[in-house]
Amino acid sequence: MASLNATSITFESSLKPSIGSTQVTGRSSRSLISFGLSSNGFPTLRSSRFRVSCSATPQTVEKVCEIVRKQLALPAETELTPESKFTALGADSLDTVEIVMGLEEEFGISVEEESSVTITTVQEAADMIEKLVQQKDKA
Amino acid sequence: MAFTLRSVKVPPNSVTLEEARSRTFDFFRKACRSLPSVMEIYNLHDVATISHLRSSISSQIRKNAHITNPKVIDMLLFKGLEELNNIAEHAKQRHHIIGQYVLGSEGLVQDHDQDRKDPGASKFLKNFYTSNYF
Repeated sequence: MASLNATSITFESSLKPSIGSTQVTGRSSRSLISFGLSSNGFPTLRSSRFRVSCSATPQTVEKVCEIVRKQLALPAETELTPESKFTALGADSLDTVEIVMGLEEEFGISVEEESSVTITTVQEAADMIEKLVQQKDKA
Repeated sequence: MAFTLRSVKVPPNSVTLEEARSRTFDFFRKACRSLPSVMEIYNLHDVATISHLRSSISSQIRKNAHITNPKVIDMLLFKGLEELNNIAEHAKQRHHIIGQYVLGSEGLVQDHDQDRKDPGASKFLKNFYTSNYF
């Protein structure tokens, strides 16, 4: 999330000086803007988006762990790695559905029926959340 | 006007336990997704949170988790859906919701003075006052 915001800021800052400098001739300003776009806009956007979509941010994983811990009432000393399965932590199927609903509420996303069945570990949940949040931001 | 926007569209007979299980999860998801509007309707923002209500719903589902007959599960789901419809279309009132879903096992009458009136009471006595079986 933080890296996405950073790229959006740099994009705006590269656009503003070009708009401010040439307001007389529309043609030249447009070419300047397109120059700015091709030089720093697109490549950084694409690379950062690739980076974010591959792995979930640590804040997301942290929040997911927090919700899981509260839902399953785990004592503070049980270790909660991103790879731990919910069933291994003592959750039955209703607990898994409830965890997914808790994540829906926390992140403001809505999970499809079939994709909620495939979530078994913390890491999968965090990845799916990242994907849905990006889709929501794009829309 | 307001009869149940969520009338039962699916046939009420599950063939297997698995189908009944998935229907239970669908019901639970539907209930959880309607929780924000329920909080708005009955103005429960000071009394409970969405996670509190969600866990009370799941504990009521879990109370019947030992049932294995799919027809019984279908009947329970039908009753649950009817209850959800009643709540969502404001056919109930705020004190119903608070008494049935927000308060825990101690119920509507809460005797918080127990510690002040009788500070010497032992744990045995406290348990004895609450119920016969402990």
